[in-house]
Amino acid sequence: MSPDELFEKLNTIKSSLTLFDQPLDNRIYLHCESENCFEINKFLFQEVGARFVIATAIDCEQYFEILYHYSYDQTGCVINLKCFIRDHENPQVESITPLIPGAEWIEREMHDLEGIDFNNHPCLERLILSDDWPEGEYPLRKDWTHEKEI
Amino acid sequence: MEVIRHLFWLLVFPGFLFTVILGLYACWIVRKVTALIHHRIGPPALQPLYDVLKLLGKETLIPEAANKAVFIWAPVVGFASVLLLAILLWAVDFIPARDNGMFLGDVIVAIYLMVIPSLALILGSSASGSPHAAIGTAREMKLVMSYELVLVMAFIVVLIKTATFHGISDSQNDAQLLSLSSIAQYTPALSISGLLAFLAALLCVQAKLGFTPFDIPEAETEIAGGVLIEYSGALLALWKLAQAVMLVAFPLFLVILFMGGIGTGFGSVLLGLGKYVLVLVLLILIKNTNPRMRIDQTVKFFWFYCGPVMAVAIVLAMLGNYYDKWWL
Amino acid sequence: MNWKIWSLKKSPWVFHVNTGACNNCDIEVVNCLTPKFDVERFGVTLVGSPRHADALLVTGVVTAQAAPRLIQAYQQASKPCVVFAIGACACGTGIFRTGYHVVGPVDKIIKEVDPNAIIAFVPGCPPKPEAMISGIVKMLNAL
Repeated sequence: MSPDELFEKLNTIKSSLTLFDQPLDNRIYLHCESENCFEINKFLFQEVGARFVIATAIDCEQYFEILYHYSYDQTGCVINLKCFIRDHENPQVESITPLIPGAEWIEREMHDLEGIDFNNHPCLERLILSDDWPEGEYPLRKDWTHEKEI
Repeated sequence: MEVIRHLFWLLVFPGFLFTVILGLYACWIVRKVTALIHHRIGPPALQPLYDVLKLLGKETLIPEAANKAVFIWAPVVGFASVLLLAILLWAVDFIPARDNGMFLGDVIVAIYLMVIPSLALILGSSASGSPHAAIGTAREMKLVMSYELVLVMAFIVVLIKTATFHGISDSQNDAQLLSLSSIAQYTPALSISGLLAFLAALLCVQAKLGFTPFDIPEAETEIAGGVLIEYSGALLALWKLAQAVMLVAFPLFLVILFMGGIGTGFGSVLLGLGKYVLVLVLLILIKNTNPRMRIDQTVKFFWFYCGPVMAVAIVLAMLGNYYDKWWL
Repeated sequence: MNWKIWSLKKSPWVFHVNTGACNNCDIEVVNCLTPKFDVERFGVTLVGSPRHADALLVTGVVTAQAAPRLIQAYQQASKPCVVFAIGACACGTGIFRTGYHVVGPVDKIIKEVDPNAIIAFVPGCPPKPEAMISGIVKMLNAL
């Protein structure tokens, strides 16, 4: 697809997005809420045919953000999807692992270090932290300090 | 008196002491030439001796999951067999002819003895009780199964050549042809089939010694030491000594089979040593210019490339025997 | 000095353990074996199994997951075996002192298992190969 066709195609799901911005020729930013996250991921992976690169999570004190990076290899365009999780006490979002098996460990890492729950994830175990790390301590949250460590 | 003489042959010259010292020196030559090819200095001359001494001084750890008897006896058997092979090969020239009338072993015994170190390695590593060693064992078994046939076919070429040169028109005992001293008189490497057989046998020896490109079982970077992963201390020293003596025995075997042996008399001993060094340098050069091959590539190489070439060489040798042409 | 220590000095075989390093020190360790520095002159070779090792080159701050593995590697090395802590992280946790998964520098972990262990420290971030060679030589002279 050419860049214009890509833009048109992404316009079709505009109703589920809260922001749709293309500041440069090869960067597209999409924002959405956690309820629509799986549907937009599925659209990007299957309809658009973009390649999933990585996903990262960040704790923003009142909400969580998960940033998905997709690469559209035919034009070299990078599509970033930022998903906001408004519930800070009990963050959860739909897992994309049934759709993209390569995301399994990426979501395990996010769960291990930030405490985000992924529904329908096949195997949400510890990945980075050691097995005797206590439950409920998420080191990469903003309110976690190292004096609390065991 | 006889006992003392035989013990001297076995233990001092050309037995244990002489072969081990020559083997450690050959190990150093390998490391030094490798270092010079890499444009660096390399270890000092006594380095293999320091390695063996240091290993003898470390504690020998035997893993709990290992089969203790096989684990301990495998290096002993491997070292003993390759030492016996070396004595057999030296006996062609350095043990006087009147004592050579007793059966010291012919080339078939030599071929059998050559297999035992590889078997000992397989047994020792499978007795280690470690998954890395198990992978190493499987690879070593496949490697042995791939090059043994080619080695035997090369030996058949040599046998046919020896019969051609010897001229079995007179009523000689056929078993005479198999003795090492009669094989050592001729130089099959100067004929076409002999040259092909020499090159194939060189690659088989490369695999036996565990040099790249065939050092798959002991791949350090892939399987953390492979076959020898659980050995330490004195047992590892025995394996290193066995490797050192292999560096004497196997090129010497090639020299006796293909290049006319060492011979008695000062000039021919020097020439013989020159041939041995030539084979050693060929092994080192092949070692340093090739990457490691995968096990399936190795099996395919020996069975589908070297095997047919050896079959052609045997046919050429038989034609040369029939038409009495030495150069075929 | 007895022949065991003398022969150990003449042929130290090293095994490299990475307990959570950024790989900078690991690259410098492997640099020592290249033709420019060539530690094979001293008889040093890189072995593939801890059982064959005389010296463990430990890089990296020890993370909670790596600590039991480091202890196992040390126990599997046949004694006498010395430990080199290479880099600022291994000598004293460096900049990761307040990290959430750090259980302490290398000597704290090793001394839990063997209080008489011989440990040499080669600081730097990463230490130059010349510094590592100097550390090896000083350790061999002090044995």
